[in-house]
Amino acid sequence: MARIRNKFSLLKLLSLGLCVIYCALNLPRPCFAKEFSFEAAVDRNKVSLGSSLQLSLSFNNAQNIPAPELPAIDGFQSRYLGPSTMMSIVNGKVSGSITHNYLLLPVKIGVFKLGPFKVEYNGDKYTSNQVNLEVLESQSQIPAQPDNRAEPAMGDLSDRLFITIQVKKDKAYLNENVPLTIKLYVNRLGIKDIQYPELIHEEGLSIGTFDKPSQYQELYKGVKFDVIEFNTSVFGLRPGEFNLGPAHIKCNLIVRNQSKRRSAFGSADPFEADIFDNFFGRHETYPLDLKSQEASFRVLALPQENKPVDFSGALGNFSFEADAAPLEVKLGDPVTLKMIVSGEGNFNTVGVPKLKSEKGFKVYEPQVKQNANTKSFEQVIIPVSLEVKEIPALSFNFFDTLSGEYKTISRGPFTITIIKPDKEEETRIVEGKQLVAPSVTSREEKLGRDIIYIKDNPGRLKKRNEYLYNNKIFLGLQAVPLLFYLIIVLIYAKKRRLKTDLKYARGLLAPRKARAGILQAKKYLDKAEAGKFCDILFLTLQEYLGDRFHLSSKGITISIIDEHLRKEGVSEDILVKLREIFKECDIVRYASSQLSRENMQASLTKLEEVIDYLQRKKR
Amino acid sequence: MKKINLFVLLILLAGTSIGIVFPGASFAQEAANAPGSLFYQANIYYQEGKYAEAIKSYQKILGMGWESGNLYYNLGNSYFKEGKLGLAALNYDRAKGFIPNDSDLRSNYDYVLQELNLEPRSFGNWFEKVVYALFAGITADMLAAMLFFVYILFITYLILSLFFSRLKIYSGLVTCVFIAVFALSAYALNKKINYRNSFAIVVSGKAEARFEPLENATVYFELGEGSRVEIVDKNENWYKVRRFDNKSGWVKKDFLDK
Repeated sequence: MARIRNKFSLLKLLSLGLCVIYCALNLPRPCFAKEFSFEAAVDRNKVSLGSSLQLSLSFNNAQNIPAPELPAIDGFQSRYLGPSTMMSIVNGKVSGSITHNYLLLPVKIGVFKLGPFKVEYNGDKYTSNQVNLEVLESQSQIPAQPDNRAEPAMGDLSDRLFITIQVKKDKAYLNENVPLTIKLYVNRLGIKDIQYPELIHEEGLSIGTFDKPSQYQELYKGVKFDVIEFNTSVFGLRPGEFNLGPAHIKCNLIVRNQSKRRSAFGSADPFEADIFDNFFGRHETYPLDLKSQEASFRVLALPQENKPVDFSGALGNFSFEADAAPLEVKLGDPVTLKMIVSGEGNFNTVGVPKLKSEKGFKVYEPQVKQNANTKSFEQVIIPVSLEVKEIPALSFNFFDTLSGEYKTISRGPFTITIIKPDKEEETRIVEGKQLVAPSVTSREEKLGRDIIYIKDNPGRLKKRNEYLYNNKIFLGLQAVPLLFYLIIVLIYAKKRRLKTDLKYARGLLAPRKARAGILQAKKYLDKAEAGKFCDILFLTLQEYLGDRFHLSSKGITISIIDEHLRKEGVSEDILVKLREIFKECDIVRYASSQLSRENMQASLTKLEEVIDYLQRKKR
Repeated sequence: MKKINLFVLLILLAGTSIGIVFPGASFAQEAANAPGSLFYQANIYYQEGKYAEAIKSYQKILGMGWESGNLYYNLGNSYFKEGKLGLAALNYDRAKGFIPNDSDLRSNYDYVLQELNLEPRSFGNWFEKVVYALFAGITADMLAAMLFFVYILFITYLILSLFFSRLKIYSGLVTCVFIAVFALSAYALNKKINYRNSFAIVVSGKAEARFEPLENATVYFELGEGSRVEIVDKNENWYKVRRFDNKSGWVKKDFLDK
């Protein structure tokens, strides 16, 4: 049993393998388009002696061409750099190209013509284009690279960064869509933040919106450019001569700024260059507003000659197909007409194709769908008579912008069989005839319509242009919550500081505690209790100084505080007073001598003066 | 002496009677001219089918500097009855600024537009259309109050988050939501404030929009009576207007009213 299962799995594997091989063999092979082309391009058309440039020989729609041997070029030494290949698939069509790159070193100044180069491939001979090149004596004669400049000058860059405007036709009929292309050419420059073009045009022209831009490389006057292409269309709203453009494109030029790092002598020695300049790339961006040339555009009026009576304004080169289904219906049942207009032109001007006659049919408004190159209409018609034998021909007329003539395309007539309905259905149709719409609305109640009666009260009458948003009281009220919030924040911050910042809290409480101590000392003064008076006086002073300067109160002696207060810049007069208070207190507390009432009063006054001085100094 | 006293008494009586009669007369006059009285009087004219008289009375209230949604609604009805559908549409549009959710108003406005073969169109890009749809049922005053409420709510949240640390967990999200709601409401309020100055309605016949503000300039498009347009520029007797589809042209001021 296990062997049979193994056989089955082996068979499955085998068949799977065969399928894979079959698929691989039948995969669409690259099928190169036949248009072989051979192009020569350089990466710049101005170069100085001692600099090099790159010459590229591109073979489009071919991939296995060996590197051609360059003939000796007058004024240049050449070296082969290697090939690069490219393959692209567009709509299933594969195209490939190979480019052989060469390094050219100029050996003398002058204007040179490179090529045309010749190659032989598959027995055929091909010739490339010619490239113009100028070799200058020094670098200064060449427009500077933006990499080494603080600010770019547009004049210098105009041959490496520019835009063009192209209208497919320079004259068109009224409402005729004409493709418009704006190209941005960039050669070896860093560009970013490219905005969609802005196109200045006269009234009387209508410009469509730009499609998503496409990017590719293009050979322009022998130099390879990166191109960004914007496509849209233009059509005229009234006859006349118009100026189109200039087109503007806004973008940012990326410039590597090394000027600040250069030596004082302006040396460009690579050994002096800061490695971080290159590594981190001190890039700056400069906004540019690129401007194209103007283009002229002529709008022609449509000819009146041979203009069909029912011409609806369609312009372009169209084809028209129509179909009707079903072609066998009961009386009152719908028949759908499908009409498709396809081709090239302004589809906004394409109207519904008309039936030659609507007799015997109830015709409804069509549903319209518009795509890039087609416009389709689905129209429901209902036969209302048994006499109807055919749907009349449908005709579509348009003005052919290629030939400059009016054209009419007709489709049909379509033979149709109308079947007599059953009795019940017949009744329904008769009812349906009386109303506008078919059977569905036959049972619906037809309601009248008019405006609803006036309001019986004026509502909330208010002065004109007096609104809440321009009421001064309301506007003033806006500040209240914010002020309230600020007050709360201040209170909260103070409370929080009292909790977390001990130094601040002690400093804040010091005068309050000192005031209580002084009051108590006054009581002992009144009772003439010198010992207790001196104790409280000393304690008050010790605690005040401890709190005030964020020191341990118990460890405060005259020598410690004296040094501290000197640093704080306290006047000598106050220091003397302090010393006297400490001295008097020590005498009474430790030598048991008595103080007279006057001395006690004097000590208390000194303490008050000291505290008052230190509080004022704090502020 | 008695004669003198009698004379004085007579003068006093006369003075008093004048004093009584005159204030009474002026009060009666004021009452008749009060906006409320004028409104009810206009309603009576309307009921009697005297629509022109009704319009005069309603306009008089507006001339006195008063306005309300019901006043504009009734004025719209009167114009409709007079056959001036453009002016009816204009007044219904004005009434929308005060009573946007009134079903009678919506019904009448729709009916007038239907009679004029017009469809209600909104202007601007998709964002403006969304904002318009979101705040269509809210008046400018309500929006201003709502903004104030959102503002107070946010301040309350900030104060509470000082004392309740749990509230701080989502502070980023809450702040973003508040800012978004506030910014959106402020934008909508700004649009509503600008609406009356920058939008107009075609009130008389078909207006021709021209390429230039000149009588003999080429006609670009036509605007039907009741069409709403945005005013983008002005030049003496001309307004440069933009249609819902962004087509713009010059229209004579006489055709439009704001």
